[in-house]
Amino acid sequence: MQDVKTNKKVIDEGVEAGLAKLTPEKIASVINQVLEKETGARFKAYVQTCMRCGLCSDACSVFLSNDRAPQYSPAAKVKQTILEMINKKGRVSREFLSDAVRIAHTECNVCKRCSMYCPFGIDIAYMMLTVRRIIHKLEITPLYIQDTVNSHAATGNQMWVKQDEWIDTLQWQEEDAREEFEDLRIPLDKDGSDIMYSVIAPEPKFQAGLIYQMATIMHAANVNWTMPSTPGWDNSNMAMYTGDFETSGRIARIHYEAAANLHVKKIVMGECGHAFRSVYDVGNRWVGWTAPPIELIHAIDFYHFLLTTGRIKVKEKYKKSVTLHDPCNISRGRGLHHKAREIVNILCENFIEMTPNKEHNYCCGAGGGVINCGPPWKGTRMVNNKEKSRQLKRTGAQVLIAPCHNCHSGLEDIVEHYELGMEIKFFGDIIFEVMEKTIFEEGN
Amino acid sequence: MNDKILNDKSTWDWQTPEKQIPVKEWEDEFNWVQEPCASPDGESIAAIVNVDDAEFSVCKNGETWEETFEKAWALKFGPDGRLAALTASDEEWTVCVDGECWEGRFDYAWDLKFSPDGSFISAAIQQDSEYGMSVNDTTWETLYKNISGTLLGPLGNSAAVVQVDHMDQADIEAFAAGLFCVAVNGELQSERYVNIESICFDSTEEKTAFSIRRSRLDYSIATNSGPWKSNFQFAWEPCFINHGASIIAPVRQNGKWHLFKDDSDFWNRPFEQLWKPTVHDSTGKIAAVVSETFGRWGICENNTLLNFQCNTMISELFYSDNAELLIALFKDNDLWDLAVIRNGNVTPWGLKADKLWAPVISADTKIAATRMEKNNRYYLVVNGKVYQNDFDMMFEPAISPGSDKILLKAIKNGIYYRQTLSLDKVL
Repeated sequence: MQDVKTNKKVIDEGVEAGLAKLTPEKIASVINQVLEKETGARFKAYVQTCMRCGLCSDACSVFLSNDRAPQYSPAAKVKQTILEMINKKGRVSREFLSDAVRIAHTECNVCKRCSMYCPFGIDIAYMMLTVRRIIHKLEITPLYIQDTVNSHAATGNQMWVKQDEWIDTLQWQEEDAREEFEDLRIPLDKDGSDIMYSVIAPEPKFQAGLIYQMATIMHAANVNWTMPSTPGWDNSNMAMYTGDFETSGRIARIHYEAAANLHVKKIVMGECGHAFRSVYDVGNRWVGWTAPPIELIHAIDFYHFLLTTGRIKVKEKYKKSVTLHDPCNISRGRGLHHKAREIVNILCENFIEMTPNKEHNYCCGAGGGVINCGPPWKGTRMVNNKEKSRQLKRTGAQVLIAPCHNCHSGLEDIVEHYELGMEIKFFGDIIFEVMEKTIFEEGN
Repeated sequence: MNDKILNDKSTWDWQTPEKQIPVKEWEDEFNWVQEPCASPDGESIAAIVNVDDAEFSVCKNGETWEETFEKAWALKFGPDGRLAALTASDEEWTVCVDGECWEGRFDYAWDLKFSPDGSFISAAIQQDSEYGMSVNDTTWETLYKNISGTLLGPLGNSAAVVQVDHMDQADIEAFAAGLFCVAVNGELQSERYVNIESICFDSTEEKTAFSIRRSRLDYSIATNSGPWKSNFQFAWEPCFINHGASIIAPVRQNGKWHLFKDDSDFWNRPFEQLWKPTVHDSTGKIAAVVSETFGRWGICENNTLLNFQCNTMISELFYSDNAELLIALFKDNDLWDLAVIRNGNVTPWGLKADKLWAPVISADTKIAATRMEKNNRYYLVVNGKVYQNDFDMMFEPAISPGSDKILLKAIKNGIYYRQTLSLDKVL
């Protein structure tokens, strides 16, 4: 097992370039503006309530991964960032801000596990996101995640996928998936469909086979569905994680208006956790929708419905031993871990629980936009994911199911780095493999 | 409600009570049949059909177009009754109208649009990795690195946000310097901005207005003549008023939304949210979707809050052609409904629909008709009354020029029905 602990300062060009432009006046002005104008009673209550008891420490997988070094405790992360900004009334140095970027953007997955162990329920993720809001306004956000947000702002998707590339990919997948059913379709812009299916941009960019698989599942389940050819097809939202609430809100608006324009009853989204948090909890609220204005369900909910109603039938259960990673945003954030287990047991013969699990599960280590900070930070991310690697290894499972894109990518890095030898799959991969390729008919 | 203007309806058959076209049998004739669409006059129904392996055509009233294609999508009837689709042959894309394909061939074509009277048809196009638009088979002379937010005006002018320079991967400095402009008919008409959204034309289509992002934190409104001076925290879609002399737009200041006119506060009241401004220029009426309290949605008209609230969303807000009616398509407690607003008085129809479309409105504004889905069945709804017959699928209805008949277009048990219903039968 390779142990990467270089202790070398990571150079992020986006952060460095931004820091170089800052003046003390600008720094103080932005920090005080955010603290005074963009926070309220909740923020004040959290700041005043934290007793630095440290009960949050053992909840944090980054803390555990770094040999319980105190500076990685969630309470310490607050102390080293936002609390210092408050105490110094915004008069902090560039060096301080450089550390704040590292802590808030790469040593906290905003996974909210610590909040469950805080005796007062302090939402430390919110505190870190407030730091990221300040970082955004100071224009010192890490380069790669900023580029992702730029893509969101310019194209409506996170990977600079052009509109023709998106549609062409769907048509290509539709054509290929006719290997499964000769009349299979990925209906584009089908007005009045029951369901709009939305994905995140890595699917058309790198993992188009997932769209193929979902098209096969939709066809077999005889679902009246569509995908939009217009912006709004990407439900992901890295702006939510950089504190660019304006772009985050616009993304949510585009997503829901695409669904409203197609007059669908429901949005089903692919296997992604942060995107769920974005459209279910964050982006929608920034624009003023207290709940999703069009019903929205995560793929786990959808698969559960298909499998428990017989719309998708299992031909033969999956044989390899599997374990399940509970993505924070749909487990702690939504409670889908019970349904996820029911799905595993329908699909697979040999399920090995990961410990801790369900809402107590450790973050994949990639979440909260940490993996999106890109290659400069990968080495430290691997160090910070050591505890997750131990947790995975203890299962001894051959296959790791991770129903979230960010988790998937992060766990792949962990499996490779710590040489765990596990295969990583989405639920969709396994359903596609074990399902009967017949078309469901109502009443039969 | 410009997109609801239909062609001359007096020439349509309003006398024959019912016509039928069997469509189920198309499924025996072709390998598969895609979702159908109906012409505005209801005389035609058409669908993309698969005729052979990777070979598609369009079937209209049982007759297929002569030409077949490797791919076809986006089939739709225009307001003038022409039938158009995006089609590919020999790996080249084009627009095919009533079976005749444009001469222009592209590496890709999408975003098929009709102008409100149907006389112009546009598509976004990509050729050799450069992007633009083509209108009635005339392609922009200058193409760009990327395109988004396309717009086709009633007079046939086309506009879009275009990327004017190449950007290297993850070059956040180049992005921050501004890569995007507005192009009209292919010619650049704006400065460069970080982002541009929501282009609109004035009635002459000589002016454009749009929302801009000047820097990471500074948003504003601009026209082809230049931007407003003020910076805002954010800005939504602008509209021209006063026959193009002024612009209104929702903008965010101090965490609240305001309606601004020509860079000054217009309604002088803050909202939690304000968007979808809609204008009837000749009467000077302006309405917008607003949220006064977080999570509650309402309508403000000429700076007066209407006596109406819903808790889910208002998806569409528009005036009838003469502005006597303001229509809101809204969702309350997760069910869809329609509000008809006359002289500031709001009348919800109480439909509780699972799916609901914006209504068509008679010239005298006495009749509003639409379709809804409830419990998986489709119904015609006229002035809030649900017509008793249910269908498997329904298309947009039409109202006779004399406002005495409703044209119902729907499918049931594999048969397409065109019915002219006298108003007293429906109401």
